[in-house]
Amino acid sequence: MSTLTFARSKIVGIECPDENTFLAHGILDDYIYALELDVEVKLPDFELSSVQGRWKRYTTPECPKAIAKLQNAVGLRIPEKDFARKIRRVVGKEGCTHFANLLLECCDGIMQAAAYGGWKDLEEKKAAPEKEGYLKRKFESVPGLEDSCMVYARMGK
Amino acid sequence: MVLSYTRNKYATITDLEDGSLLVRATLEDSFFACTVEIEVKVPDLEITSIWGEIKRAFNEECQEAIPLLQEAAGLRIGSGINKTISDLVGGSEGCPKLADLILECIDEVVLRFTLPTIKETQSIDEQERIKGTREMLRQNPGLLGSCIAFAEDSPLLKGLELEK
Repeated sequence: MSTLTFARSKIVGIECPDENTFLAHGILDDYIYALELDVEVKLPDFELSSVQGRWKRYTTPECPKAIAKLQNAVGLRIPEKDFARKIRRVVGKEGCTHFANLLLECCDGIMQAAAYGGWKDLEEKKAAPEKEGYLKRKFESVPGLEDSCMVYARMGK
Repeated sequence: MVLSYTRNKYATITDLEDGSLLVRATLEDSFFACTVEIEVKVPDLEITSIWGEIKRAFNEECQEAIPLLQEAAGLRIGSGINKTISDLVGGSEGCPKLADLILECIDEVVLRFTLPTIKETQSIDEQERIKGTREMLRQNPGLLGSCIAFAEDSPLLKGLELEK
């Protein structure tokens, strides 16, 4: 019988308490590490206004010190150039790579919610427009969406 | 308050009978569902095969990105692979979600090989555990500077001589 030799789960849930705020709660749990994050992002700049983390399982007595380094991310804006690289450096390398990994997961989820959440609401109200028209409007309000992949790069031209 | 978005990403590794690894990463979120599976030869860590499917996407055109997965076949997991995958599969000319799942698989492989050493050190008392962590660093000097625990001024590294 084949058994698993490693497994990791990451779960992110996002709430939108008002039209200018996203709240993400993320969990990472694997055979070695377990950690949690609460992230608040403010629109229209998608700026990280609060990041709080907790360890559930770690490997060295130094790992808890990484929690303080989460504050290095506060003030950064998700659409800014090299955002992921900055997070990997100021939260990951200076703190913990697993917290950086989960934080990027939460931020990516927030951008997905910003891009497509409106569509879900419109569909529920049976008022959804053509997808292309919806997306073109989103290209104006969600920075970086327009050239984020091959399909959107083509659509934006 | 109800959720406006949810994401579940999980990755697993199974050791195959011939010693190679089967790594599977799946992403299921409110708007997208996708799986990538790679087979990795051990010990050279070459990606010998890759397969993937997009089960659900906001845009039907996303399916056009599936052939890009083959760019990862033949690559070896090691220094520089993350950038190579991002360049070949992700970015504005590709699909960042597929690239991300390949990177997730790669991360899993690295952690899978780290696990036995960590498991060994966790079963002993704290001083022995620190000794074990130092030994792990001695064997993997590439970890130096990778996080706060392995920073140059970390107490864990005090007096530790590493081959550069």
